[in-house]
Amino acid sequence: MSNVPAIDKSIRFKAFRQEVTRSVGALVIALAVTTVIVFLTSKAPLDALTQLFTAPAAKTRTIGLWVDDIAKLTLTGLAFSLVFQARQFAMGVQGQVYIGAIAASFVVLSPIGTTPFGLAAGVLAAMAAGAFYGFLPGIAKAKLGANEIVSSLMLNYIAIELCNFLVRTSLPLPQAGVLTTVDFPEQSVLPALVANTRIDLGLIFAIVAVLVVWFALYRTSWGLKLRLVGHNARFAEYSGIKSTFIMVSAMTASGALGGLLGAVFVQGQTWGKLTVQFEGGLAFEGILVAIVARSRPLAVPIVAIFYAYLRQGASLMNVRTDVPAEVIGVVTAIIILLVSSSFSVNFVSKLFRRAPAAAAVQSAAK
Amino acid sequence: MMDIFLTVFSATFFVTIIRTTTPLLLATLGGLVADLSGALNVALEGMMLIGCLTAVIVSVYAPWYVAVLAGLGVGGLLGAMMAFFAYRLKADIILVGFAVNILAAGGTVFALALATGGDKGTSINLQSQAIPAVDLSFLSAIPGIGPILTAFLSGHSVLSWLAAFLVFAVWYFLFRTPWGLWLRGVGEYPGAPEAAGIPVAKVRTWSLVVSGALAGLGGAQLAMFNYVGFTRDMTAGRGFIALGAVLLGARHPVGALLAALLFGTFEAFAVVLPGLFNWMPAELIRMIPFVVTIAALVLFSIRAQRALAMRGVK
Repeated sequence: MSNVPAIDKSIRFKAFRQEVTRSVGALVIALAVTTVIVFLTSKAPLDALTQLFTAPAAKTRTIGLWVDDIAKLTLTGLAFSLVFQARQFAMGVQGQVYIGAIAASFVVLSPIGTTPFGLAAGVLAAMAAGAFYGFLPGIAKAKLGANEIVSSLMLNYIAIELCNFLVRTSLPLPQAGVLTTVDFPEQSVLPALVANTRIDLGLIFAIVAVLVVWFALYRTSWGLKLRLVGHNARFAEYSGIKSTFIMVSAMTASGALGGLLGAVFVQGQTWGKLTVQFEGGLAFEGILVAIVARSRPLAVPIVAIFYAYLRQGASLMNVRTDVPAEVIGVVTAIIILLVSSSFSVNFVSKLFRRAPAAAAVQSAAK
Repeated sequence: MMDIFLTVFSATFFVTIIRTTTPLLLATLGGLVADLSGALNVALEGMMLIGCLTAVIVSVYAPWYVAVLAGLGVGGLLGAMMAFFAYRLKADIILVGFAVNILAAGGTVFALALATGGDKGTSINLQSQAIPAVDLSFLSAIPGIGPILTAFLSGHSVLSWLAAFLVFAVWYFLFRTPWGLWLRGVGEYPGAPEAAGIPVAKVRTWSLVVSGALAGLGGAQLAMFNYVGFTRDMTAGRGFIALGAVLLGARHPVGALLAALLFGTFEAFAVVLPGLFNWMPAELIRMIPFVVTIAALVLFSIRAQRALAMRGVK
């Protein structure tokens, strides 16, 4: 866990290996549970499992879906990592995604959208709007002590309804009654990196975001202060760090990432327009990514690669077999529970070992 | 404008308020018990949702009270599970809570699809039952105020009366029994009760179980009285609003009642407004409970800070 520049590299390596073993162990347990559930509920369990585990890598199109998901999960994972490192449980990424997407849509559907600056203007507007939306629960906590969990969750619901409202009333629609705006002008849509797939500039944004967040957290004084506040807020306060400023700035920066994700969603190849409920619950998956990555920015994309594969496998299984994709919620919950607890791989064996030992004591007593 | 006054001061509106308040109140009491023991239960939302689905599915095969008990029981089990991971395996209680929420969001849809044979939206083709309303129409026999009493008191769910009683029961437990003192002590400063030999983790475990049971009960009310049947994500943030209501109610059962009534009233507004003013956008009406929660949280926090400043803290 230590972020101190390790004098002894082998200790660092050991900790790293332990983390990996734990994550893999949690994944294996979660997948075993899924397999059991699928076998209990499906009429063609082998078919369903084949889809879950092999389908995402089967075709260029599905690999495109997978990579697109990696980029998005990385961004939401980073947004959660930033606030988790400061030990703030702001859950507002979903709201920031919607607000960012709304801001981006208003900009690119205005005359600016058809100029060469349309793309950049949309992304920047989204980041600014997201940052503002992340700032709100931060300042409410810092100035008033309002619980950030409740306020950020309420802001999520408000943002979703606001998006529904604005799409219906204030943005140009192709025809009356549909809940989707007209397509964004071509200059404002993120160009595809690989033709005919959903892999677009969003992937580059995600990679850059990983590096920027890593640099900010581990190579700047702001990052050091932020991590210090996260480890021990009182100690940080005593050593002269303004913990409220760090808190608010962490939540604002995280909001900017959420807003960026919103722009990547609506300006990306996936949509290229604003539609209601476009996000489909992806933002909250960042909690899992951040927890498994232990809020380390460089580990976030690695976790995202695995988790995106699972998500895509589940959704393909949903389309092609009789097992609903929502089974993945069970996997997610189990992984979070195991990884965030002090579960270790030998815990399971200990659990089994204890029972026979107790029985032995009892038989000895006789 | 006359319409709205007539609606607001009518007995039907009062009955609507009680109906929208009951699930919130039950969840708020659940949040209160956990919060006072120092275990912030952010999983109220997920526990309610799972309580909803369990109650609906059980009510297809069993009488309504068994279904209500099933909702209560599953909530308690989830609370025990949270406690196991948080205190035995030392996980962060907030992360465990969100794991339960994620489990609920996905798991309920999955289980619903299994129970209905593929429908992932609603339980419309399940013959689920409702909790009976308590009929007090005999009060009309009282001369003078009888009919008014009937209009206001009759027609509430059994659980509404239970919830009202639970406000008293929770208050009595917390402030008039030794266990309540333990619970509050554990929440206030765990070191002292620990030194006095009170099992801190055990107290918190039981308060999480009770908290989950109350949230599950709230879910049963929601899915068997407010609406009959299960809809995907039907709790729609009520568990999180309840979390806000705990803070707003100054962590006291009576405060919890008042806060739940406040949010329930605004939810009732959201129920009746579309019928009164059809020019009002539905999206903005649906926003009302969330905006009110934030406003209440901010105002309450300002007041709490002022109180601290007056006492000379800070």
